[in-house]
Amino acid sequence: MFVQQLINGLALGAVYALIALGYTMVYGILQLINFAHGEVYMLGAYLGIIVLGVLTYWGVTAYSLPVALLITVLVSMAFCAAYGAVIERVAYRPIRNASKLAPLISAVGMSIILQNFVMLSQGKEYKNLPPLLPSEGFSLFGANVSPVQMFILSASILIMVGLQFFVAKTRLGKAMRATSQDRIMAGLVGININQVISITFMIGSSLAAVAGVMVTLYYGVVHFFMGYLAGIKAFTAAVLGGIGSIPGAMLGGFMLGLIENFCASYISSVYKDAFAFLVLIITLIIRPAGLLGQKSVDKV
Amino acid sequence: MKKIISIPIIVMFIMTAFACTHQDDNVIRIGAAGPMTGDQSKMGVDLRNAVELAVAEWNEKGGVLGKKIVLLAGDDQADPKQAVSIANKFINQKAVAVVGHWNSSCSLPASKYYDDANIVMISPATTNPHLTLQGFKRVFRVCGTDDQQGRVAADFVLSRLHPKRVAIIHDKTAYGQGLADYFKKALGDKVQVVYYGGIIQRDPDYKAVLSTIKENNPDVYFFGGIYPEAGRLVRQAKEVDLNIPMITGDGVFDPTFISIAGKSAEGTYVTFGKEPAGLSTAKTFIEKYRAKYGDPGPYSIYAYDAANIILSSIAETKSTDGGKIAEYISKTTFHGAFGDIAFDKNGDVTKAPYVIWQVKDGKFVEVP
Repeated sequence: MFVQQLINGLALGAVYALIALGYTMVYGILQLINFAHGEVYMLGAYLGIIVLGVLTYWGVTAYSLPVALLITVLVSMAFCAAYGAVIERVAYRPIRNASKLAPLISAVGMSIILQNFVMLSQGKEYKNLPPLLPSEGFSLFGANVSPVQMFILSASILIMVGLQFFVAKTRLGKAMRATSQDRIMAGLVGININQVISITFMIGSSLAAVAGVMVTLYYGVVHFFMGYLAGIKAFTAAVLGGIGSIPGAMLGGFMLGLIENFCASYISSVYKDAFAFLVLIITLIIRPAGLLGQKSVDKV
Repeated sequence: MKKIISIPIIVMFIMTAFACTHQDDNVIRIGAAGPMTGDQSKMGVDLRNAVELAVAEWNEKGGVLGKKIVLLAGDDQADPKQAVSIANKFINQKAVAVVGHWNSSCSLPASKYYDDANIVMISPATTNPHLTLQGFKRVFRVCGTDDQQGRVAADFVLSRLHPKRVAIIHDKTAYGQGLADYFKKALGDKVQVVYYGGIIQRDPDYKAVLSTIKENNPDVYFFGGIYPEAGRLVRQAKEVDLNIPMITGDGVFDPTFISIAGKSAEGTYVTFGKEPAGLSTAKTFIEKYRAKYGDPGPYSIYAYDAANIILSSIAETKSTDGGKIAEYISKTTFHGAFGDIAFDKNGDVTKAPYVIWQVKDGKFVEVP
């Protein structure tokens, strides 16, 4: 039972972590909380169900399921990256140098627009995906690890390691770090700020798309309102780990998933959300910048 | 400058207010209320369509009392607060009677407003027993109640499944928790209830609670709630290797449950009324409904009968007074599409035959 809850919690946490990365990267570079990010995740889930539907119609799913899943993830990532770039271009770039509240309100507006766009174009009903992967997986200390859970865990860890490498080692990663430290100085030394910010949004959004496709496979249902709660949870995870910190978002996501699952099984399934937020409040009292966040020093 | 702008706005407001209060009194208004948006929207739309069909039939025959019947649709979003505001809206629009609401948590608060405003309310689907125990003369229902349903489910579990250990979960709503409690009460101390707890509606993940249930090793589990949650529960149960049958109530009796859960739905037991297609009157209803809206929902026929009861009572009493109509309804036996309907002193139907259904090959099949 403990092992089963651990695995359930890790799988849920991986999804939170992937969404939280988008929040934390955008915050790191623009000090903006991108409230439309949860909706990008929702779009990713819808795209997942649509692409899988098309692939099944063409017979790709029957031919090879891994190929179909790979295509689905890639198409969904590409579309969501485009959404991310457009959202940034339309809603944030024109008011980048306005007061801090303006982009925040713009973000909330963008979130409402996307939600209603999906509601009107896709309908208010739940959309269902029949289970594609068998639920029977392999047994680990008496717990059942389903193939979907394995897919979620392995894919998300791979992506996180890749992202960490990208930010730490590549030229573009270096440019991103420089932009997040000081936007004006980075511009002065020849970094194309607009491009770097666009790419940050695209990476964050494509990670949310992966999370969306994973959730579609995991729970089999999508709904236009699903991004709201997931967005809040992932934002909580980002704050818990220390917003602006990439390893922090990963840690926060996994922690939140585990806390929710253990609380639901050992304390009460009804109060698991309340308990997750309680942990957040206690953490912020002890460490105001989050677990791995750094206390910001005012630049002189 | 500000004043100049605001004057036309005020005038506009007054005009809209006037337009709202000035209504044609040469029509009879009937309300249809249920969740028409959100995840339970199918149920509210099924209900409204059925009432619309009944109203259209009466209007073809020339309406009632020589007046045309107008349908008012109210979307309560399965939210008790919204249900009360729909009730107030119907009262302001001078509705004579209302078919609705669908959810117990909506019907319970709304019923007081209708009764106070002299409006007859017939719910086609609210099964929480308290609805008709509040002493309201104008409140009826054409379906059964959760204590009957819980008893039927418990009898079936005890006599046919012979479990030693049972787990019970509910969605914390007036309907779901009520039903789970009646089921638990009807089980008595004949079996051991090893788990009893609530889940959150609209939560995507129920694996934690299902793993806990599995740990307690029951032979069967009961769920009090509606189909979106039930679908996710049975689907995720298979993923945590919980391979015992679920038994649940009328809120899950809809094809959407099977489409959400896929193969995992197989073997699930559901309590619901008898198959209506056997009756010839029901067949005509289903054909008419299908021609206009597609397949009827599980509660469409109940809503259709409720609307016909209201309209024929208005015609018989030659009155639009809620008290008089209610008195007539409580004394009369109606011949509905679903068979004869008569009400007891509380406003419940005298016969409420619940039977057990089971999902087999992607369809609900009556268990003999």
